[in-house]
Amino acid sequence: MSKESETGIGSLQRSGFVVRKERLYARLIAASAVLTILVTVGIILALSGRAFSFWSEISPVTFFTGTSWSPVIAQSYGVLPLISGTLIVTVFSALIALPVGLAAAIYLSEYASDTARSILKPALEILAGVPTVIYGYMALVYVTPLIDSVLPLSAQVIPPGVPVLPEFTIVMPSLRTFNALSASFVVGIMIIPMVSSISEDALSAVPDSLRQAGYGLGSTKFDVSTKIVVPSATSGIVASYVLALSRAIGETMAVTMAMGMSPQMPYFPNVLKNLAESGQTITAAMVQIAGADSLGSGPTYEAMFALGMTLFVITLTMNVLAELVRRRFREEY
Amino acid sequence: MATEETGDQLGQTTRLRLQKLKGQLFEVSLVAATLVGILALLVLFAYISVDAFRPGAASPVWFLAYFGTLVAPMAAFTLYARRKPAVQETNARAFAAVFGGLLLSVVMYAVIDSLSPYDVFTYVFFASIPPALVLTYDRTTDDRTYTGPAIPVSIIVGLGVAAVLYDFVRGPIGIAAEWIMYFGLVTVPAALLVARLTASRRGRRTGAIAGGAVAAGGLAVALASIVAGIDASLPVVLFSGSVVPTSYVVWRSVRTNPEGRVGVVGPFVLIGGTLLGASLVEGFGIDNPDTFLTPNLLLQSWDGLTASNAGVYPQIVGSIVVVGFMAVLAFPVGIGAAIYLEEYAPSSGWGGRLATLLEVNISNLAGVPSVVYGLLGLALFRRTLGFGTGIVVSAAGTLGLLILPIVIVSTQEALRSVPDDLRQGSYGMGASRWQTLREVVLPEAIPGTLTGTILALARAIGETAPLVIIAVATTTYSPPSGLFSSATALPLQIFAASANAKPEFRHGVVPAAAVVLLVLMLLMNATAIVIRNKYGRGN
Repeated sequence: MSKESETGIGSLQRSGFVVRKERLYARLIAASAVLTILVTVGIILALSGRAFSFWSEISPVTFFTGTSWSPVIAQSYGVLPLISGTLIVTVFSALIALPVGLAAAIYLSEYASDTARSILKPALEILAGVPTVIYGYMALVYVTPLIDSVLPLSAQVIPPGVPVLPEFTIVMPSLRTFNALSASFVVGIMIIPMVSSISEDALSAVPDSLRQAGYGLGSTKFDVSTKIVVPSATSGIVASYVLALSRAIGETMAVTMAMGMSPQMPYFPNVLKNLAESGQTITAAMVQIAGADSLGSGPTYEAMFALGMTLFVITLTMNVLAELVRRRFREEY
Repeated sequence: MATEETGDQLGQTTRLRLQKLKGQLFEVSLVAATLVGILALLVLFAYISVDAFRPGAASPVWFLAYFGTLVAPMAAFTLYARRKPAVQETNARAFAAVFGGLLLSVVMYAVIDSLSPYDVFTYVFFASIPPALVLTYDRTTDDRTYTGPAIPVSIIVGLGVAAVLYDFVRGPIGIAAEWIMYFGLVTVPAALLVARLTASRRGRRTGAIAGGAVAAGGLAVALASIVAGIDASLPVVLFSGSVVPTSYVVWRSVRTNPEGRVGVVGPFVLIGGTLLGASLVEGFGIDNPDTFLTPNLLLQSWDGLTASNAGVYPQIVGSIVVVGFMAVLAFPVGIGAAIYLEEYAPSSGWGGRLATLLEVNISNLAGVPSVVYGLLGLALFRRTLGFGTGIVVSAAGTLGLLILPIVIVSTQEALRSVPDDLRQGSYGMGASRWQTLREVVLPEAIPGTLTGTILALARAIGETAPLVIIAVATTTYSPPSGLFSSATALPLQIFAASANAKPEFRHGVVPAAAVVLLVLMLLMNATAIVIRNKYGRGN
């Protein structure tokens, strides 16, 4: 090998320090990425340690099947009333957010002009950006009296004279100060953007050729939107629904402030009564324990971690489910 | 031509008309659905601001006065500016300089004041000397390979030196007047910035003169306030943080932008209109609204008995300190993780699998409820590290973990939108990976990253549940005095006070505190949206 070519190669190589510097930066950056995994590990460790020590004192069977939650007074740790509270809020907020969010997504993706979209999209994002403590305050102080001014309502499903149990008359009694209805209402509003933005992404991802084919066959815009675009984007829409529900389950401040601290088993068959009564969600129970003075020890304190574990597992399952739905049923174009 | 309609055709037209009607109804219901959430929120905002502001008590003349002095001139100016893009541009810049500067200086003063100006000065002084030395060395030498990595290291070394020398230095520094600390912390950086900006455009000499003028102005303001017998600290901060940027922007617009120079009037129309309106109202004894948005609210601490004395000053400063420290902790890590995933992560093999795992993990972390982060913070900071209950470091760390996924995802999007040609061009010129990243990719990605980080800050400032879980005190009467002192935050005070059923609290001062929080959060969101629209992908 000639001397010339050696110096040629040498000038193209970086100095040892530059190489080491590059490596150092690459490692630092990779370390910060790996830190995110440590966060997950940390969550699991933090939750499981105390949760399992709680379940070694109170058996998981008692915990998951007990119908009374009264950690301080009666030392009873049955999680079912809390799950019932969470479900009530989730279901009724979903009744608001899922149809409204999907309709908003269809409008933004199929109908809205560019100007309208550039105003409405940030406006919808604001709905998710308002601090939940303010949602809770608004539910407690403004929404409840507003709804209560039109209550109580009663509608007889079965005509009078037919002898049935009085419970089968649908009665919406007047609201308590703390009630599930106002909490569900504000939670419903705050998860609208979750549904609308993810669904809109899915709708916009439907290729234009499908729409053009629909129009070519003589379909109206209504038909194209409801029979071609929405079905093609089903996986994304379902994923957005699941994520929004998961957000509603994990919502804390609004339900704590508006729904109160009295865990209830659900009323049946007059389901509307559940909305008028107060209740307590899993998250609200955690806030209550954290706010009490028992901090630091005892089964009540550990129950907070058991509740957190339950919540984490539920929401994690739903998020993974949403991701799976999105991957599995995505139509490839 | 015969135009007889057969029954068949008639049916066809009716059917078409029905279909059209159906389409229209569908569209109307879609619009209604899109608007219903926004409108419901607007109604609730209206309730909350009416309760906070109480316009009912004001006389109609009050509205007339402010309409005449404030609303009408602003509307006229906005209409005028709308037709001239150059004016609009200058107007936006002037607004950012005036109100951004004002906000920044007030926030800096409040934060430095609560943390003690002497301590902040000691640490900032020691932390800025070593990097300044490194930069000076950088100017004198051609071999700049070492200076890049040396700067962060030198800052850390400086902070370490400050911590070691603290006990010896704090005494002598404490002799100096307080305003000298603010002069060093605010005026000197402002002067350096002005000098640098001017020097880059008009030569080193002019730059030095401009910087010297700023420093001299700061000293003059301090002397004037001492002569007038008032505390010089706040005037010095206000001068350097808002007068200096305002005059810089005004001066530059007037000199360099003849078409748009009218735009600088915008913020002054607003300020002048407000002052004029206030003096009219005062002078003629017009009834003011019975508002709860008073200076008391912003400057006092909480009073659970008398609504007119209740204020949220400690909570506002606490929120800013916690969120600011959170940004210091979380943004480098979040941006680093995003850079790894977008620029470094291999797409195959073990590294590729790790990258996929990281992506899935981050999207799952984004879905973890905020209370669970509170439990993590409790276990990590209180149990494992043994920190005290509800201190600033724990609160900032907990919120930092919470917003990490948001920062990562938005930074990733920003990096993804940088075209690959730029990277290839940089590599082709012989730049290394890190050089490409620092000189080409990151500058391009700044607007997107900024949007994401501001949104993350807005999310963090309203976050309550994790702070309740880590037992941050809901009501405190002084702002945090250091990173290891008790934290406090505005949303916590709203949560705690929501139980107060007295009407002047329930429909008065608590809504007013909520309005303060909402304004903070809406300002952040608006800034993020403006940045996104200005530097969006379309341009």
